[in-house]
Amino acid sequence: MATPIIEFHNVNKFFGDFQALKNINFTLDQGKFYSLLGPSGSGKTTILRTIAGFNTVTSGEVLFQGKPQNDVPANKRRVNTIFQNYALFPHLNVFDNVAFGLSIRHVAKAEIETRVMDTLKMVRLQELANREINELSGGQQQRVAIARAIINEPELLLLDEPLSALDKKLRQDMQYELRELQQRLGITFVFVTHDQEEALAMSDEIFVMDAGEILQSGTPVDIYDEPINHFVADFIGESNIVKGTMIKDYEVEFVGKRFECADAGMRPNEPVEIVLRPEDLDVTTPDKGKLVVQVDSQLFRGDHFEVVAYDADHNEWLIHSTNPVEEDKDIGLFFEPEDIHVMRFNEKEADFDARLETYEGE
Amino acid sequence: MSNTAKRLYYIPYMLWIILFVIAPVALIIYQSFFNLDHQFTLGNYAAYFTSGTYLRMTLNSFWYALIITVATVLISYPAALFLNQLKHKDLWLLLIILPTWINLLLKAYAFIGIFGQNGSVNQFLGFIGIGPKQILFTDFSFIFVATYIEIPFMILPIYNAIAEIDPALLNASRDLGATNWQTLTRVLLPLTRKGVVAGVQAVFIPSLSLFMLTRLIGGNRVITLGTAIEEHFLTTMNWGMGSTIGVILIVMMFLSMALTAERRHKRKGIGTGAKEK
Amino acid sequence: MQKKNKLGRLYLVFVFLVLYLPIAYLIYFSFSTGSTMNTFKQFTWANYQTLFADTRLIQIVLQTLLLALLSSLIATIVGTMGALGIAATKRQANRNLMLSLNNILMVSPDVIIGASFLILFTMLGISLGFGSVLASHIAFSIPIVVLMVLPRIQEMDHALIDAAYDLGASGPQVLNRVILPFITPGIVAGYFMAFTYSLDDFAVTFFVTGNGFATLSVEIYSRARQGISLEINALSALMFLFALVLVLVYFFIQLHQTNRQRRNKEKAGGAAK
Repeated sequence: MATPIIEFHNVNKFFGDFQALKNINFTLDQGKFYSLLGPSGSGKTTILRTIAGFNTVTSGEVLFQGKPQNDVPANKRRVNTIFQNYALFPHLNVFDNVAFGLSIRHVAKAEIETRVMDTLKMVRLQELANREINELSGGQQQRVAIARAIINEPELLLLDEPLSALDKKLRQDMQYELRELQQRLGITFVFVTHDQEEALAMSDEIFVMDAGEILQSGTPVDIYDEPINHFVADFIGESNIVKGTMIKDYEVEFVGKRFECADAGMRPNEPVEIVLRPEDLDVTTPDKGKLVVQVDSQLFRGDHFEVVAYDADHNEWLIHSTNPVEEDKDIGLFFEPEDIHVMRFNEKEADFDARLETYEGE
Repeated sequence: MSNTAKRLYYIPYMLWIILFVIAPVALIIYQSFFNLDHQFTLGNYAAYFTSGTYLRMTLNSFWYALIITVATVLISYPAALFLNQLKHKDLWLLLIILPTWINLLLKAYAFIGIFGQNGSVNQFLGFIGIGPKQILFTDFSFIFVATYIEIPFMILPIYNAIAEIDPALLNASRDLGATNWQTLTRVLLPLTRKGVVAGVQAVFIPSLSLFMLTRLIGGNRVITLGTAIEEHFLTTMNWGMGSTIGVILIVMMFLSMALTAERRHKRKGIGTGAKEK
Repeated sequence: MQKKNKLGRLYLVFVFLVLYLPIAYLIYFSFSTGSTMNTFKQFTWANYQTLFADTRLIQIVLQTLLLALLSSLIATIVGTMGALGIAATKRQANRNLMLSLNNILMVSPDVIIGASFLILFTMLGISLGFGSVLASHIAFSIPIVVLMVLPRIQEMDHALIDAAYDLGASGPQVLNRVILPFITPGIVAGYFMAFTYSLDDFAVTFFVTGNGFATLSVEIYSRARQGISLEINALSALMFLFALVLVLVYFFIQLHQTNRQRRNKEKAGGAAK
């Protein structure tokens, strides 16, 4: 297998007394789209700035294509960044912003001209080459930032919440464009975001971070379906989380009832948390439901109704229903055994993966 | 290595600080302890604090500076306010600043003509039957011209403070039922206090030490601390006494700076507190 | 509301009248044949002819301009380097100390600056003349340059510097191609302020100039005490005209730029839809 493009070995970073990164280990492969997902202050931007070379690490090792990078300054790294607010140079026009990296390296004028125009064409800005930066709309500035970064043909492109300043419609369009761009260029993207929808939509692999640690990594589907703990389940998508007890393998108890489930490998009668996704809950009549809840309120979300209901134990349940329900009425909820996801308390990613190994092969 | 190389450019500025900021202040303090015969003495300070003339002069100087500053604020604040309501207000502001580009001496010189014994004002007074008055070389002419000179320096910071205010705040105030006057006193004035303080700083201290105007317009009737320093340094050559008055002026300057700086600090605390909410 | 606006306008008209009264007065009498500014006699260009024939005065005007150009240039260079240094100082306490030292000359009365510089030059054995005046003008212009440049540096998004490094620029390249262009408006403003300070200064120059060198202020001071000559009025008129033209040119360049930007911005908005 080819050398990984980036490796972090036991990386720690302190800002004064504050530990921003806690023993980070990961490997990024060539040509994939990675997301670092977490709330602000979780350390995702610190990782990005470490890869870019704006931060040094307190301890540990960062490798780029197998070579140590700890002492390589930012301007010598074959990595480019798209900044959160684009950081376009306000004193240069579109053309000169995109040409900046090439002209720094004293590339011949004629070559700069053709390469800049080619890159601008790629981001569909060729007609705006002579515009000033403050004459552009937000979406156009975003494209300039992309063009300015990719023209240097980096091995790795870092994106620091680049879509956060755009409105919703534009943000969705840009998600497609970025994904397509990454596939066309074939280089590695590392995308930092606090928006789980963005991360799920675009990534090959997601790293979920909190408080300086990587909690879980995996494909979007893995992370969505098998969140490792309460934090990940809550952060990724919407979920109903209730306390329960793992009676034995494939049998779990919550809200005073026992259910068949698809999880195993835990101690008998171990206290656990149960995740049920709102879209996995089907509304039915009270007598047919596995659970009975009372409707509190509902909102029409366009493609579905979002229903809030409470069970007898006063747990709140969020349900995505295709049909409207009547408020204050009891309804039944139906779900399949594999819709139930059981999470142990304080389980680390390695243990989680090992436990899954023991019974998933069966 | 790169760190020291990076700081090399800082050297000329540091040299300037040492040679033209620290050294002169140190020297003027040093000099204030010497008498006319270059002997070390505390006599200058003793003379200052025991002589009624010097103390009265200091008080006078303070009094004039106060009047000039207050007059400047009263004239400048409404002007800055109305300027902000104009179309092309940048151009009008430039036109307010423009007279400061005309040499101070030239303007003083014009006032000599206007206020002179046979000047325009007196001709006018004669024309309406009051008859000529002594205007030049009076307290009034000194205060008038000094105020005139300082107005642009007061308008500028106040104008900037007003321009920074989000117009929505004024609309909000009216929306909540405040009259124009209440909006002015309860919203606009508190928000622009920083500008007024900056203006007062820019006007008060120079007004303490004007000496050219006291001679040309005040006709030596008005003696400020500035006049006294100039006299001691360039006429009587008593540098020691001149330096002593200089040190007093510097102390007053630091006091007024410390007072305004502290106030600003407090305001800042309130500001961030509000933002956190 | 309407009425208040009218009152406001009226007040502004009054302020402008007062501000420009002495200047208008000077210019008006520059065309008079008399020898005083009391009554306008007859229209004449004679005062202007006297002015241009007065080689001493012309020379002093040129000297004053040269002094202002030179001192503000050097002050701008040193001040900009100082502002960069202060901005790069990491510890807040040190930064505040430097700023306080910087501001001492800003708030010091001219007389104190003049007197203390006089002591300094005397102690160092520097003879008074063009050199001492130039050094003094540079010295009192540096802090205003720092105050004009520093906010611009602090206003700069640090991501711009990161972006430049990210795109491969070295330290000096970041300075030349990103930081300096970005803070240029501050540098230009600082230069103009320094220029104005130098042209306008009387008190400091009065203390540290010897017999051989005079600036316009010092010259007018000595002439005004001897009595009035309308040649000075002619000079005032010319200087005012010059300043006015500068202001108007500056304003219309600005106006043109903002209009162009607004137009393009609107176009960009339209295209996005």
